[in-house]
Amino acid sequence: MEIIDLNLIDYIKAFELQKKIVSDRINGDIAHDVILILEHPAVFTLGKRGGRENLVVSEEFLKSRNIAIIQTERGGNITYHGPGQIVLYPIVNLELKKTGVSEFVHALEEVMIRTASDFGVTALRDKKNHGVWVKKRQIDGSSLQQNITLVPEINSDLDNNSDLNNNIDISGVSSNAKLGSIGLSVKRGISFHGLALNVNLDLTPFGWINPCGMAGISMTSLENERAKNIDIKSVKEKLLHHFKKLTSSDL
Amino acid sequence: MKELSELNLPENLKYSDDHEWARVDGDVVTIGIDDYAQDQLGEVVFVEVPEIGDTFSKGDQFGTVESVKAVSEIYTPVSGKIFAVNDSLAEAPELINNSPYEDGWIIKIKADNLSELDNLKDKASYFQMLKG
Repeated sequence: MEIIDLNLIDYIKAFELQKKIVSDRINGDIAHDVILILEHPAVFTLGKRGGRENLVVSEEFLKSRNIAIIQTERGGNITYHGPGQIVLYPIVNLELKKTGVSEFVHALEEVMIRTASDFGVTALRDKKNHGVWVKKRQIDGSSLQQNITLVPEINSDLDNNSDLNNNIDISGVSSNAKLGSIGLSVKRGISFHGLALNVNLDLTPFGWINPCGMAGISMTSLENERAKNIDIKSVKEKLLHHFKKLTSSDL
Repeated sequence: MKELSELNLPENLKYSDDHEWARVDGDVVTIGIDDYAQDQLGEVVFVEVPEIGDTFSKGDQFGTVESVKAVSEIYTPVSGKIFAVNDSLAEAPELINNSPYEDGWIIKIKADNLSELDNLKDKASYFQMLKG
C-alpha cells in the first residue's frame, strides 16, 4: 500500500491523478493499492446522478465566491469540500481482495467512526443514510446553526442501541448532524473517490446546498463537536492508521 | 454478505469474471449481474442502462449500478447491438437484488459472434474462481 499526502490540491488535479492511478492499476503498471489523502480548496461536486437541484443558492452567487461546481462519476449527491476537511481517496483493488462494495463502504464508515472517537467525538452509522453522523445535543429546527457542544458524555441510550458494528438506526436525520461522507466509484474492480471527514472547516457553504440531496440536514465537524482546535495532521495520521488496520488484507 | 455456499448460481447460465451472467436464446443474449455481484454491491438504488440500438464490443462498459453510495461499472461479455433494456429497473432497481436472474435482467443484446461466449465460465468453474 502506498500513501500519498497531497496536502491542499485542486479537485480536478486530484481527480486526474486518481484516473491515472486507476488506469495504471488496471493495466498492471501499478501492482499495489494507492491511498491519496488531501484537502481540496472550496468546491461543490455533484454525484453521477446529479444533485444540482439541491443547490439552494444561485450559480452566480457561487461564481461571485469563486467556487466551482463539478460533475463527477461517484455515487451520492451534491457535496462540498473545503480546507479543514480531510479527503481520503482509496484506490484499492476490491476484486482482488474479494471485498464487496458494501463491505468497503462499511469499513470506510468505521475508519471515520474510530477516528472521531480518538478525538472524543461519538459518531454513528445510519442504516438508511450512509456516512457517519453525530447525534445532536439539541433539536433546533434550523439546519445549519453551528451549535458548539462540549465533548459528548457517554450516552447510555446510544450504548444500549448500538450493536457490535455501531450500527444504529438514526433515520430521523434531522436530529443528527453529518460528520463524514462517502462517495465511491468502482472501475474494473478498482475503487476511487472516497471519504470526506469534516475536521475544522467553515461549515457555512453546506448551508448553500441540501447536502447529499437531503433537505434539512445539518453538517458538523470534529471541531464543532469538541469546541477546541484540532491539528489536522494528527487527524490524518489517525485516519490512515485506522484505514490500514481495517483494510489490512492488502497484498 | 453471503457465504459462497449460499450463492444462487443457476446451471443454465454462463458467468463472466466481472460477475455478469449471460443467457443465450438464438442470437440474443440476456445479461445481468449475478448473485455474488448483487450481494457484494448491497442495496441497489439506481441502474444506468444503454439505449436500444447502441453497439458495444466484448468487455465494454454498458452501464452502471449504484449501491450504498458507490457507482460500479458493468461490462458486456459479448459484442453486439442492444436489442432491449429492462425498463422496470428505473422504478424498481431493487430487482437486481431480489431477482438477479429473472426480473432483474439488465440488457438483451443481439450478439455479433456467439463464440465470444465460449470464454465464459459454467457454474462449476465460476464457483471455483470465486473460491480461489
